Amino acid sequence: MTEPTVSPPPARDLCGTMLVHRRMLNESMSYRSQRAVIENRALQYEIGRLSSARRGPVVIPVVVHVVAGRDHPEQNIDDEQVHSQITVLNQDFRAANPDVSKVPDVWRDLVADTQIEFRLATRDPNGEPTDGIVRVVTDRPGFDHRDGVKSSRTGGADPWPSDRYLNMWVCQLAGSLLGYATFPGQPPHLDGVVIGHSFFGTTGTAAAPGNPFNRGRTTTHEIGHWLNLFHIWGDDDGACSSDDKVADTPNQADANTGMPTFPHVTCANGPNGDMFMNYMDYTDDAGMFMFTQGQLARMNACLEGARASFLAAMPEAEAEAVRADGSRHADAGEARGVPDGEVERLLHDSERLTTEALHDIRAALNTVAGYSRW
Amino acid sequence: MSGEPPDVVGAWLHSHEEDTETAAVYRPADHPFRPSRRPRRGLEFRADGTFTDLRPGPDDRPREVPGRWRDEGGGRLRITFPAGDGAPSDLSVISCADGVLMIAK
Repeated sequence: MTEPTVSPPPARDLCGTMLVHRRMLNESMSYRSQRAVIENRALQYEIGRLSSARRGPVVIPVVVHVVAGRDHPEQNIDDEQVHSQITVLNQDFRAANPDVSKVPDVWRDLVADTQIEFRLATRDPNGEPTDGIVRVVTDRPGFDHRDGVKSSRTGGADPWPSDRYLNMWVCQLAGSLLGYATFPGQPPHLDGVVIGHSFFGTTGTAAAPGNPFNRGRTTTHEIGHWLNLFHIWGDDDGACSSDDKVADTPNQADANTGMPTFPHVTCANGPNGDMFMNYMDYTDDAGMFMFTQGQLARMNACLEGARASFLAAMPEAEAEAVRADGSRHADAGEARGVPDGEVERLLHDSERLTTEALHDIRAALNTVAGYSRW
Repeated sequence: MSGEPPDVVGAWLHSHEEDTETAAVYRPADHPFRPSRRPRRGLEFRADGTFTDLRPGPDDRPREVPGRWRDEGGGRLRITFPAGDGAPSDLSVISCADGVLMIAK
C-alpha cells in the first residue's frame, strides 16, 4: 500500500508514463491491426474473390440514446422524431426513398438496395421489454467530437453491447458539427454514431425552417461509415490521389456541398463527373439519394466480417418465440436472411478473423515489449 | 502587424462563410456557427506553447494533430509538428480582436 499523500519517486513516474504510453500504443496498434483485416476483407469482396452469402434483408436492432440538457427541453426530442429517422433509414438503405428517381440515367443501374433494415430494439440487454429509446438528462450544455456523450461518467449515456445493437446518440453538438461515426474496429464502448438533434429524423427540431439537413440523411451517411464506407472523394484534401476504395463511384477531388448541378467534373472524371448525389458526399440532405453496388459490396464485407454478430445473432422477436417453442430454433437463421449453413460459415469466418487479429496484436505487443526494454 | 503580439490563445474554428479573398476568418469555438456537414478546420493555441490543429477527418469529426506554436513577432506564428505529422508552417495574423481572428491566406 502507498500513502496517497506521498508523491511517487521519479522512477515510478517514468514507469507510469511508460505504461500509459504502451497502453495507447497498443490500443492504436490493435485498431490498426483490426483495420488491416477489415480492409483486406473489403478488398476481397470488391475484386470478387468473396461474395455475400446473405439472402434477404438483415435487421439491425437500434438503441437511440437521447441525451438532453436539463435546461433545454427541446433537446429531448419526442418519439415521433426518433421514429421518423428509422423510417428514413429503411427507405434509404432499401432504395425505397422517393427521390431515388432523381439519380442521373448514367448511374441508375448502380443504385443499390442494400437489404439492410433498422428497427428500434424491443428487448434491452437484460432481455426486458423496451421501446429502444433511452432518455438521459445531462448538466452539460452540449458535446463536442470527443466521445463524451458515450459515457454516463461524462454526462452522456453508456452504450448497449455494440455486437448486438447499433448505438445512436442524439444530443446538442458543438462547433456546427452535424454528426460523427466510428468505423468498424473501434473499441466497443465507442462504437456507434452521434447525431445532432436538429439533424436527426424529419420532424420536431429537425423541421426548423431553413434547415438544409432536415431529411435524416446525416444518420444515413454516418451509418455508411459504421458499415465501413469512406467519403466518396477519398479524404485527400482536394487531390485526386486517393479514392473511396469503391470502383463504381468516380474518383472526385473534394467534397461537394449544398446542391450541385449535374455534371460536376473534377479529377478528369468527365463526362459524368462527381457522383455528388451519393450519401457519402457532403451535399445538403435533399441532394443525396443513392448508395452504389460497389458500396454495398463493402457493406456486405463488413456485415459478414467485423459486424457478423448482427447476421449470426437471433432476432429478438425470434429469440422470444424460441424460448416459447424450442422447435423454431432451426428457422432463426433463415428469418435473419441468412441460410442456416451460411450462419455457421459466417461464424467460422468471424472466428478466423478474430484469430488473425489476435495474432497481429500479439506481434505488435512483442514489438512494443522489445522496444520498452531499451 | 506591429506593437503588442496578437493574443490568439484559445480555440478557434474556421468561419469559412466569412472568408475574404485575402483572409481566412476564425471565430471562437463557442460561436453560434451555421451548421456545416464539412467539419470546420480548427486551431487551438494554448498559453504553454502547445497547439492542436483540427483537420477534417474521415469519420466526420475533426482529427486532432498536436504540435507547438510560438510568436515570431510581426504577427507571424510558427507552427511545428512532431515528425510525420506535417511540415512546419507559418501563420500570418492580420488581426485578432472582438472575437475574430483573421489569418492571411
